[in-house]
Amino acid sequence: MIDVDLDRRRLLQGAALGLGAAALPVSASAQSNARIVIIGGGFGGASAAALLVKLMPSANVTLIDANPVYTACPFSNLVIGTDRPLSAQQFSYDGLRQQGVDILIAKAADVSPETQIVTLEDGSEIVYDRLILSPGIDMRWTALEGYSQEAAETLPHAWKAGPQTLLLRDKLVALEDGEPVLMTVPPAPYRCPPGPYERASMIAHYLKANKPRSKLIVLDAKDQFSKQALFQEAWTEHYPDHLEWRGAIDDGAVSRVDADIGAVYTDFDEIRAPVINVIPPQKAGAIADRAGVTDLTGWCPINPISFESMLQDKIHVIGDATIAAPMPKSAFSANLQAKVCAFAVARLLSDLDPMPTTLSNTCYSYTTPDEAISIAGVYINANGRLESIAESGGVSPLLADKAIRNAEAAQAAHWFDTITHEAFG
Amino acid sequence: MLRPGLLLAIGALGLLGLAACGADNSSGEIAADRPVMESTDRAKQLALACSGCHSSEAGAIASLDGYSVDLMEQSLLAYKSDEDGTTVMHRLARGYSDTDIKLISAYLGQEDAP
Repeated sequence: MIDVDLDRRRLLQGAALGLGAAALPVSASAQSNARIVIIGGGFGGASAAALLVKLMPSANVTLIDANPVYTACPFSNLVIGTDRPLSAQQFSYDGLRQQGVDILIAKAADVSPETQIVTLEDGSEIVYDRLILSPGIDMRWTALEGYSQEAAETLPHAWKAGPQTLLLRDKLVALEDGEPVLMTVPPAPYRCPPGPYERASMIAHYLKANKPRSKLIVLDAKDQFSKQALFQEAWTEHYPDHLEWRGAIDDGAVSRVDADIGAVYTDFDEIRAPVINVIPPQKAGAIADRAGVTDLTGWCPINPISFESMLQDKIHVIGDATIAAPMPKSAFSANLQAKVCAFAVARLLSDLDPMPTTLSNTCYSYTTPDEAISIAGVYINANGRLESIAESGGVSPLLADKAIRNAEAAQAAHWFDTITHEAFG
Repeated sequence: MLRPGLLLAIGALGLLGLAACGADNSSGEIAADRPVMESTDRAKQLALACSGCHSSEAGAIASLDGYSVDLMEQSLLAYKSDEDGTTVMHRLARGYSDTDIKLISAYLGQEDAP
């Protein structure tokens, strides 16, 4: 464990001794008073807040989120397909509050990069010296014909955890044995590259156990996907009768949906089902647009060392909203980007340059309730972009012993506990 | 002749001036936390990658508490060089130079651990 506090005490003592008298008048009179505002209390924003109050004890760190409780996406596929309760996904901000973060439950309506002001929905204004945006994703409602916020009440996306997760689960529970289930998967990039395939596994698991004559058909806009060989190995073993995946080459790309009659349309087909999980195309969370940090792709270009926006000064963007490929849009990435960004912000506010570093990512996916597979990557940010380091990273072995799958399932659960504790206290 | 007290004051002003130039702090003050961030080194930043999975809680993922500097370095180098290794740590360790592994170990390993 990284004991920042202990370290800080050591460093402060060292600094006081080392710099001697020259530093004394400054540190005695000056207060940082740096105003750091963070919008978005998910894995990115919460992790950034937690580290910033440790790195900069005299700064004012404010975290703004519209909801008093955060509902985590990782493991929410187990809520859909197993008996995991949604409450296991939920975290309050009390832990961060106790650590000294100012928590503001409010919707951020606008950001003015020129005046360095965040405006809340009630009209109140918050001034920042540095702003960190961790807005996650929003659905690109206009990108899929027939899909809308209203349609999502009938054809849930469940790609933001919460009521949508429960809606999809309840629809599966209400399904008559023998009726089909559909899932549509968008082209990349979207939140959590292997997420649709873990979800497909969990839905197939549910059907096999509870609706054995039903089957899930996955309609994919792509022909290749994350951990594909591993997923397909698991599907062949566990769900030969309960899961069928159709890639783009097999007419898998969905161009239109109809919520009224419960149908999806590909180039050649109309398919109807009582349960349709539409994972729509996505973009950076809406506040990123308001702040002027998105480009034409709908995502946010960043300086990979500081995570400062390439489009606006003093605004940093972390997590799913960023253009950080090959680093994926995952909770692990958001958490680590948050910590690297917090370091950079603390250095910038101390008039020091941010430092290049090595970053990494790990994503676990469940294929059954007690078996999981993983992908890992290592990246450097020193050359103007994030780059994978050759010969590193990769996926779990194919045709592996059950014990390896079981071990990764246990590691995934441990990871979830650790990372949520680090982010939310 | 300048008195020592005045010299000190000029020195302090110099520091303030420097900070105000590139400063981010709209107030123009030197951040009180600067000494901490000034001594922030590469090791500390590299080790940020570890704490998302490893805590002081032991379980399916190892707790790093009680690892000596040497044991930490040996373990990471073993992960890196084991060509047949398949765990997440094998795949991650291959992305780090021996120098970085030494730095991370020196930072995360405990001097007084057995």
